[in-house]
Amino acid sequence: MAELTAELTIAIPKGRLEAETLELFAAVGLRLDQHRDPRQLACRDESGETRFIFVKPSDVPVYVEHGIADCGVVGSDVLLESEADLLQPLSLGIGSCRIAVAAPADMPENGHTMLRVATKYPRIASRYFGERGQPVEILELSGSVELAPALGLADCIVDLVETGRTLRENGLRVTEVIAQSAAQLVVNRASYQLKAAVIAELISALKGVLLLGDVARASRP
Amino acid sequence: MSEPLSKIPSGFRYYSAREARARRVVETIAMSIFAGWSYEEIVPPTVDYYSLFEQGMGESEAQRSFRLVDADGRLLALRPDGTTSIARAAVTLFAKRERPLRLCYSATVFHQHGQSSADWRRESTQIGCELVGRDSTAADMEILSIATELLRRLQLDRSFVVTLSDAEIFSGIVENLGLDTKARDELRRLVDIRALSELERFLNAYTSADEASAFANLIQLSGKSEVFARARRVITNPRSRAALARLESLWRIIDSLGWSANFEIDLGDVSRLDYYTGLTFKIYVGGLGVRLGGGGRYDNLTGKFGRAEPAVGFVVELDALAELLAKEVDSNLSTQPESVLIPSDGADICAVFGEVIELRASNRQVRIDK
Repeated sequence: MAELTAELTIAIPKGRLEAETLELFAAVGLRLDQHRDPRQLACRDESGETRFIFVKPSDVPVYVEHGIADCGVVGSDVLLESEADLLQPLSLGIGSCRIAVAAPADMPENGHTMLRVATKYPRIASRYFGERGQPVEILELSGSVELAPALGLADCIVDLVETGRTLRENGLRVTEVIAQSAAQLVVNRASYQLKAAVIAELISALKGVLLLGDVARASRP
Repeated sequence: MSEPLSKIPSGFRYYSAREARARRVVETIAMSIFAGWSYEEIVPPTVDYYSLFEQGMGESEAQRSFRLVDADGRLLALRPDGTTSIARAAVTLFAKRERPLRLCYSATVFHQHGQSSADWRRESTQIGCELVGRDSTAADMEILSIATELLRRLQLDRSFVVTLSDAEIFSGIVENLGLDTKARDELRRLVDIRALSELERFLNAYTSADEASAFANLIQLSGKSEVFARARRVITNPRSRAALARLESLWRIIDSLGWSANFEIDLGDVSRLDYYTGLTFKIYVGGLGVRLGGGGRYDNLTGKFGRAEPAVGFVVELDALAELLAKEVDSNLSTQPESVLIPSDGADICAVFGEVIELRASNRQVRIDK
């Protein structure tokens, strides 16, 4: 379509999902220079047609929603929390974990008229308890949420649970699973139309790689 | 403690210099195009009863408005929308006028909060047209043509895309599958965010795996005329089929005008289905991360104000458009002549003004120095 540059900008979340995400893009032919400076926050793939930007996971929806990046990869935990208006055409099958409520093993099940909840996900937490009619005080923390119950700041936490090890180490156990979370490919609504061909190509290439991965896993002894 | 007066509430802003000029230029061009299609300008009231918007736009949209209480205790709203107010005027104030009614406007609208974080403006200006009293492909095409002319006149023809769909396609599918409101909303959400694998899983409960997958593929991508043949293979219910046929005849006109490069059929467009009753379209422009505008057919709206009449219309967001064009306004769109500098320092003030008034009489731009 016309003048529209076919060049794509993809937002990559730094940290937990970064390595697996880059592997996935490498598998569809979007390879980064092996010797790139890890402090560099924007770089191109080898062909030079795709630009990667490396941002904090919670910033991926912001860049994509504003169209600064055409697409991005982000955990559904971040997506649920951001309430950003994005297309989510593909679940990438990486970074699977749960968003869960966890509480000290000895916490009584009932009898609380007001629950103090420590979390990095204030919106998810308040929506979840709100729908259940449970009054809560949300304590928004930016890290080490597992400590809050032990130190008496909160009765329970809402957090991302991968293996559950960190929880056990802090005397917590999952009491309710709010949602499953996995990395999603997200696309800006305008880019989806304006760069339709390249984005469609990217989606179908990623789909192909994911399918191959499934087949490989299934055929493993 | 008092706030410093320098602070501006979030979501509001000043426009000046290039941006202010770009807004004026765009608005002037739009209004002259609308007049060229015989649309009459209407200036709706800024404040109206909240219940009007609640009825017209639906509760969730209306709830985003700024509300205030009138002296008699009734709830008022700063208008969050232009169309509602105009639709009401069409069937009340202009009830006796000959049909079709062609109305256009440039109206500031207000929202307490946006629909998403990219939608940060709480005050924005919508420029639009409404064609009331005609239910035909010609009426739909007229609205699309006006929007297209505006985009082309603004020299965006190399970068704009208009996506087309019809609300009845989705409604027909929902009816055919026998979905209740909750399932309908979930299906709509999955189509809207193009979550294809989840969509397939959802549909598997209602239809065969083959059909579910064919439907997911159909809504995934927009396309040109080939979409119709693909859609007919997947969609068989008469209600959706009728909508597809309508869309196809519209496409034939677009194609015959040589416009198909800028148009796409996007059957995955399912926003505001409770509002639109036929054609829906969205306008995107390269360089702008958000939608520039859109429109469609809303045959159920005026009925809420006492008389059901078919209607179709569109809006573009002046703010987004002006932002995009502000960079070019001096070179391409400016109509301003060069200014004449008049020195006033030490000169006879009567002579200075005599000269200035004369220059202005011939419409030259003047600037009195010092």
